[in-house]
Amino acid sequence: MKFNTPLPTGLATFAVVFGLGLSAVNAQTALSRNEIVNSLQGAQAKVDISADDLRKQALEHIKKYPGDNSTEVLPLAAKLAQLRQFNVEITFDFDSDRIRPESYETVGIIADALHTPYLMGQTFFVVGHTDAKGDREYNLNLSQRRADAIRDALVTTFRVPAGQLEAVGLGEEQLRDPSKPDAEINRRVQLINVGF
Amino acid sequence: MNKFLALIMTCFLMAPVLPAAAQTVGFADAIKILGASCGKDINTYCKTANLGNNEIGQCLSQNQSKISAQCAADSITVTALLEARFAAQAAAPKLCDRDAQQYCKLVKPGNGNVLRCLLKAQPSVSEKCNTAIDLAGYR
Repeated sequence: MKFNTPLPTGLATFAVVFGLGLSAVNAQTALSRNEIVNSLQGAQAKVDISADDLRKQALEHIKKYPGDNSTEVLPLAAKLAQLRQFNVEITFDFDSDRIRPESYETVGIIADALHTPYLMGQTFFVVGHTDAKGDREYNLNLSQRRADAIRDALVTTFRVPAGQLEAVGLGEEQLRDPSKPDAEINRRVQLINVGF
Repeated sequence: MNKFLALIMTCFLMAPVLPAAAQTVGFADAIKILGASCGKDINTYCKTANLGNNEIGQCLSQNQSKISAQCAADSITVTALLEARFAAQAAAPKLCDRDAQQYCKLVKPGNGNVLRCLLKAQPSVSEKCNTAIDLAGYR
């Protein structure tokens, strides 16, 4: 596995998004530490997006475009899409932020990746997303709690330095597949490298 | 028993243990044992406990009399495996200090820079440092 030859960002983002559509269909066993490392490494200088701005933007988005489902994309979405990122699936109890035991391994794989010298010292957003079923503000809150639970596990159980991780919940405000708002593919945890 | 004999006996008894003790596994491989072995007990007795903040560990020890023997044994193993990897990661920079001075002098320390340099310099790096890097899971 080559670590030190990151792809150009644009191409990599395309590859990640495209590749993940497939991996979501496959079993979780396909996930490896090196896959995460290769997708996340190679960030440049610090990106000027704050987790707080992103959280606020999602809430404002619901007020500005009310309705059952979001019809517009988040203003920061385009900027986020340019960053090194990776999607994983982590299962939680229904309506809860409790990580199910079958997903412990996935959280461990993320920890293994974040501890490597290739990702050390960089800052990552752990972004939780839901599908579009249910109330938007409720989903926003649930996804924030779930992102917090993953961050907590990474920081405490696996001792990833706290300063390296920010948890953000975007609810159903940034669906992966807006043409199928209620589909499973939208439920995911996105890891985004926001640089040093 | 004289001291010498005791030492021989100790070495003999330790021998099969040492190679295993000198290895570490990644966080994912460790924690998946907990998920597999204790998943059922966790879902039964720890319905509100989460993976972070040692909630699962606390819950399992509070319910020690109810959880399966396999889970009880494996949860201790998992904790030891995680600790072994943490210790290996903490030890690696020290064990590689000499090599870092020798092969990575011009590298600005921080953000894993020195470790990445040592990974590239693997053929020249000392066995001690290369082993430390392996045990830390950095390769």
